[in-house]
This record gives sequence, C-alpha cells and structure tokens, in this order.
Amino acid sequence: MAAEVKPIANTLHTPSEEHEELREQLMFDPRPREELNRMVLDSMTHTTPRYWTAVGVLTVLVLTLLLGMWGYLIFTGIGISGERRPNYWGIFIVTFVFWIGISHAGTFVSAILRVFKAEFRRPFTRAAELMTTFGLAAGALWPLIHLGRVWVFYWMIPYPNARWLWPNFRSPLVWDLLAITTYLLSSTIYLFLPLLPDLAMARDRTTGWRHAIYRALALGWRGTEAEWARLRKAISIFAFAIIPVMFSVHTIVSWDFAMGMVGGWNSTIFGPYFIIGAILSGVSAVITILVVLRATLKNMTYFIRPEHIDALGKLVLVFSMAWAYFFFNDYLVQWYGGHDVVRALLSFHASGPDAWIWYCMLLFNIVIPWLTLWNKKLRRTPWVMLVVTLLINVGMYFERYTIIPLTLGHQRMPFDWGEYSPRFPEISLALGSLCLFMLLYLLASRLIPMVPVWEVREGQEAHLVRKVGKTVVPTVSELD
Amino acid sequence: MARRIIHLALFKEDQVDETAEALEALRGMGIVDRDISVISGTPFSEKMLGRPMTWTRVPIIAIAGAVVGFLVAAFLNFGTPLLYPIRVGGMALQTIPTSFVIFFELTMLGLLISTFIGVFVESISPSYGPAGYDPRISDGQIGVLFWAPPELDPKLHETLTGLGAEIIHGTETKKLWLF
Repeated sequence: MAAEVKPIANTLHTPSEEHEELREQLMFDPRPREELNRMVLDSMTHTTPRYWTAVGVLTVLVLTLLLGMWGYLIFTGIGISGERRPNYWGIFIVTFVFWIGISHAGTFVSAILRVFKAEFRRPFTRAAELMTTFGLAAGALWPLIHLGRVWVFYWMIPYPNARWLWPNFRSPLVWDLLAITTYLLSSTIYLFLPLLPDLAMARDRTTGWRHAIYRALALGWRGTEAEWARLRKAISIFAFAIIPVMFSVHTIVSWDFAMGMVGGWNSTIFGPYFIIGAILSGVSAVITILVVLRATLKNMTYFIRPEHIDALGKLVLVFSMAWAYFFFNDYLVQWYGGHDVVRALLSFHASGPDAWIWYCMLLFNIVIPWLTLWNKKLRRTPWVMLVVTLLINVGMYFERYTIIPLTLGHQRMPFDWGEYSPRFPEISLALGSLCLFMLLYLLASRLIPMVPVWEVREGQEAHLVRKVGKTVVPTVSELD
Repeated sequence: MARRIIHLALFKEDQVDETAEALEALRGMGIVDRDISVISGTPFSEKMLGRPMTWTRVPIIAIAGAVVGFLVAAFLNFGTPLLYPIRVGGMALQTIPTSFVIFFELTMLGLLISTFIGVFVESISPSYGPAGYDPRISDGQIGVLFWAPPELDPKLHETLTGLGAEIIHGTETKKLWLF
C-alpha cells in the first residue's frame, strides 16, 4: 500500500512567523506604559449619547422597579408578595442566593488565579472584583427586603436590645450577616488595594473633579520600594485569606437551608454544592461582562482578547462538570434514601407543573455548556460565549428556584402542599436589582480604571520569547 | 551638617539594567542605601536593582487585628450567654461547634481590615527617605531619588547622564495627597 508523504518543511513556520503569532496574546504584544495609560484613561473619559441614555434608563428603572416598589412593599406590607403558606421563602431568597453566588467570581478569578500565578488573569481581575462588590451590594439588599419591617434590621447586629437579649449566635441567619459583612468589606478592600497605582496614574493625568477624587483615593502613592513591598504583602495576605472567606460565605448561605429539617434541604453536601454552583455562575457572569466591556468600552479589544474568554470558558466547562457531579450526588443519595417525602419531592421537581424549570436548569447548566465549550473555536467566539454564559446564569437562577419555593411547597404534610407564584412586586424588585447592578457597573466603568495597567505591564515584562532549536517558545519569568 | 540636595534621576522604562548600574555607581560615590529611594510605575524586586530588602509592619498589624477579631468572637460566643443566660431544656448554654463560625468570620474580618489599616497608616506616615516625584513615573519611567552633597554634583551628572538618565533637581511631593 502506497503512503502519501508530504514534506513537513512547508508546514513549518519560521521563528519570526511564530513570534508574530504569539502577538495574538496580550502578554506578547507589549506596548509602552504611557500608551497603555492613555488607552485606559480614554476608555474612562470617552462617553457617548448611547452611554448616557443607558445610564438614564437604568436610573429610572432602579428608582421605579427597585426603590419605588420596595417603598410600596414597606408601606403596604409583605402580603402583596406571593409568599404565603407553605412558601415563606420565594423570589426574595432566590435572588439573594443568586447575587451572593455571582459575587464569588471576583474572588475566584482574582485571588485563586493570583495565588496560582495564572497569567491570563491580569487584564480582567478588576472587572471581576468589581462584580463581586456590586453583586454583594445587590445581594445584601434582599435580606432587608425579605425582612418586611426593614427598620428592625439592627436586631441582627451583635449588641443587646432593651431587655439585654443578644442575637442568637448559633443561628445560621446571624452567621449570614457576619459572613456577608466580612466578605463585602474584604472584597471592597481587595478591589481598592491593587487600584492604588492606577489611581495614582489617573491622578497624574486628570484635572478638575476627577483629579480631586483620584488624589484623595491614591493615598499619596508615588511607587516607592516601600509602597510596592507593602502593596505586595497586603495583596498576598488578602489573596490567601479571602479564599476561605469566600468558601465560608456560600457554605453559610447553604446552611440557611441545610440546617433546617426540611425534606430536600437537610443535606450534608449542600455546602460544596452551593460553592460550585456559585463559582459556575460567577465565572460565567465574568465572561458575560468581559464580552460586553470588550464590545462597548473604548480600547478594550486590546486588553480583553479571545484568549481570555477561551481560558475562562475552559473554567466554566470544568465547573459545569463539577456542578453536574454534585447535583447527581445530592440527587442520587436523596433518591436512594427512600424517604417518601423526598421521593415525592424529586418526582414533583421532574414531573410537576413547574418541571420545565427543572429541565431548563439541567439544559442550561449541563447540556449547553458541554455541547459548546469543548470547542476552542466556539470558546473564542464572543457572542457564542455571551449566549452560553447568560443561559448558565438563567440555569443557576432556576436551580435556586427549584431548591427554594419548589421544595418548600411539597413537604411532609400533603394537605399543606402549595404552589408558589411570584407576583409583580417580587418580579419588579428582582429586575430592579439587576438594573442596580448594571447601573453601578456602568458608572464605575467611567470612574475607575477597568484594567489594572501596572499588572498588565508587569506581566508583559515577565513574558519573553525564547528560541529553542528551530522554533520559538513562550516563557514567563517570576519577577517578584 | 553639610547641605544635601535631593536629586531625581529618571530612567526610561526599558533601562532597568542602567538603573541598577546607577545605584551601584551612587554607592561607589559614598551615598548610602538609606539616602537612596527608587520609585517606579511597575514593581521591581529589590534583588533586580541590588537594593536592601524593605521592611513593612503590615503582617504584624494584620496578625494583631486577627487576635482582636478572635477575642471579640470569644466574647460574643461565650461572654454574651453569660451576660443574659437563656436556659433551654436539653441544650448547652455554651457550645463549641457553633462557635467555630463566629470565631472564623471575626478572626478573618479582623485580619483583613487591619491589613488595610496597616497599608493606610504606613501610606500616610512620614517617610524618612528622600521625597520627590515626577508624573512620568506612572508612565513607566524609573526614578532614583537620592540625597547628595553639592560637591558631588559634577561627577553625579556625568555618571548618571552617561547611563541615560535625566537629572531633575528640587522635585516635590506636594499635592499628591490631601495634606
């Protein structure tokens, strides 16, 4: 049998061609720091009528859908929501868990990838950290909304009331307050610390009110050796310490459910199951935001490249698989246990009137990511990733909806079963919190440098191309 | 005491080697390390520039904050039930397993907040090295700030400009922060 042999020389690239190909990667396409500064400042100061229209529309929506409706809810009472026996937890808690989940991305992308020195993280850590802060801000509203009588919120703060009664520190709800407060404060500081050199850069190049803000926030940063050493040390402490805090937050959120003797909730695996779900939705949301930033913010095509969306897409695929594993583990053990209540509940999820939510959850969180994200070409196509990641977050919202109202409605007493139908106030508030998140992000994109310029430049200085034999290979050296 | 003048030698972004050589030359002229400070828009390690290790109190302040957080947690976990005991049949007044969550959260909160306080306090504290700044630093240029007696001026200029530096006298740090 004759074999067709082709000379391989024709397919080999010259070192210079290979070097040129490497320039597709941000780290191998360096530009002078001055130019990088100018590009980032341009993106902050360049606004179009479309931007201001978006800000105006979102402001109106936040004022009406969120604040107006919340005021109406406080004035009339929580009875106008769809929450009634047996479903006392509905959209309010679903949306709370959703936002807390979204907030996990910043820490994951920034802290974990920083600890493991994943170089692709450099241009988008800030976008992810901002997501954490604003996601937590949107999420922290929900326990207050759910309280109904929001003015008694301070009862959860650890100090004694008039009868010298302290909050119950054994309650997961008080743990929630402490964990979310810790996470919100620490993630805000973790956003601020790496911003210092970039705020100083903005201070040096702006005038007027912008200059006054950056001057105050930059804390007199000059870039001395002592300042860099201090910053490195502080970022290092934060990167290591904030990871267990992140794990604790969603574990405690899961304990709000798992500590109760409610069929379908009382599970030992809920902690890690919730964490994996949170990271899946959070990393997906980072991709969504990066695609939008890339398309709408000036000069972002230089900083946010297909390689970044590709790398994050791989992470989403891995976390989708991990989520599937935890879901199946939780499902199989509960099903195998054979408790009538739980079996009836699982059947209800898969064949009840709201079964479409359960199937959509599986479709969006498992089937669609697995069918698409294995493919490098699709992972590097921004609009495909936008659709896939939006669907994953819809799927994750459905997951929380399945866990909360669809489970609460079918408990041990069949005479007490009930359907949950969210009413307009709940839907309005949920959409309002989404608008709040988008509005905060839009405003922040014009106020703070969205790309950590010094980190990008540091990475570019650490990356070199080395010739090995007849080819060139990328190398990275440790500068710290 | 002889009058000393602050000099700022600015090197281009890609002149890290020249900066390290300049630092060596300054030491050769009798200028000690504590009278020299390097400022840059991108971090360079002390080893790269042949500089002594810098020391920061941030880790110590962070640990102190963690200890304070732990003590507050101990008070909330075990002190508050004693202040107003509510005895519930069959349940212990003070429990170890549930206390772990409060201990963990408040210890971490203390650690992280005090880390920031450490950075903040050290940032606004007066520094004892030569002070000076130029906005070109945040454009990537590397600045070597140093005090030198006037008699060294000609030699300094010759050496540093020979290495490609631009020399600036009388730099100031005014208007960089609120005070």
